[in-house]
Amino acid sequence: MKCTRCRAEAAVALPSHHSAFCPECFLLFCRRMVERAIHDHAMCTSEDRVLVALSGGKDSLSLAWLLKELGYTIAGLHIDLGIPGASPVARRITESFCSRHGIPLSVLEMEPLGLGMVEVRQRIRRPICSVCGQTKRYFFNRFALDNGFTVLATGHNLDDETSRLLANLLRWDTAFLADQGPVLSAQEGFVRKIKPLYRLSEFETANLSFLLGIETASAPCPYSAKATFPVYKALLADLEDRQPGRKLQFYEGFLKHGRQHFAAQGKTPLSFCRRCGSPTSTEICGVCRLREMMGAPAEVMIAISSPAVLRTQDVSGSAEKE
Amino acid sequence: MITVFFEPEGTSISLPRCTTVLQLLHQTGRKPGRALVIRNGELLTPDRRLTPGDSIILRDVGSRG
Repeated sequence: MKCTRCRAEAAVALPSHHSAFCPECFLLFCRRMVERAIHDHAMCTSEDRVLVALSGGKDSLSLAWLLKELGYTIAGLHIDLGIPGASPVARRITESFCSRHGIPLSVLEMEPLGLGMVEVRQRIRRPICSVCGQTKRYFFNRFALDNGFTVLATGHNLDDETSRLLANLLRWDTAFLADQGPVLSAQEGFVRKIKPLYRLSEFETANLSFLLGIETASAPCPYSAKATFPVYKALLADLEDRQPGRKLQFYEGFLKHGRQHFAAQGKTPLSFCRRCGSPTSTEICGVCRLREMMGAPAEVMIAISSPAVLRTQDVSGSAEKE
Repeated sequence: MITVFFEPEGTSISLPRCTTVLQLLHQTGRKPGRALVIRNGELLTPDRRLTPGDSIILRDVGSRG
């Protein structure tokens, strides 16, 4: 199989694009997919300060590399969830990656805040993935707002987005469908959120990550086995096998024809948490309620912008410039 | 004989009759687009031929949290 662009030996076959690419041309393909996503949805400009949510996985690290390559001003935030086995590996990979590529990195530890996920899992009755996701979204958003970032970028890929869309459609969850998309606009209490990888599939980001030499975490989250999204991903992957390109059509079609109808139905009105001031649909936001349940001191929340309290660690000083 | 190392499982098997990447994927229950096939640090497309003695890394791409 030859590279569609330069006729060299292909390394990556992409039936969904009727294409195959050699390593060099595949990097160019990924770059152009991200450039197009950013351009088509006015995600960010060179004036923006972009905070990249770095989990240590292939998607978020590839995203950081691409945004830096494209010339955006970026910094990373990694949240150390305090999960034995998984968290130390994810943190080491993230720190090593940022050091190698000269990306400023802050690390926020959950355990000192009383929100280590091992302890949280023992106390809650909801699925841990739901609570963990809510907690991460909260702290990524607060950190971005408190530290002058204008945009928060996450590594959600096409499979993440289409599986979420399918799950929301199967439940006819109109509130979530109204909000689903590659950009969530900034509003009071929320930084603008963007998903520049939404046009790239998980297979494509895995190939990109391999070609960039990004280390693959050998210790996945031990709690992720109960996550439901892999079920929807598998259904869509089977469909994609039979109808290459269907996932991207499904998602782009929703953005073009479907989302507006759900958005027109109005959104849940938000107020501000009485404890921390973050937007919430209840009097006290979910993270403050969690903190209260865990017996974590409330004053830490008030001092959220203080790096010392957050126990952030800036490792940019040790970065090796390429 | 082709030796296949599975990631992230960390297990391996030997396949006696396997001459292309596509055959390897079928024999290991994978589909193209679901796993990376790597030989000597190089990515292989499904049509590539394999030769006896090859060591292949088969890396599933699904994220697991």
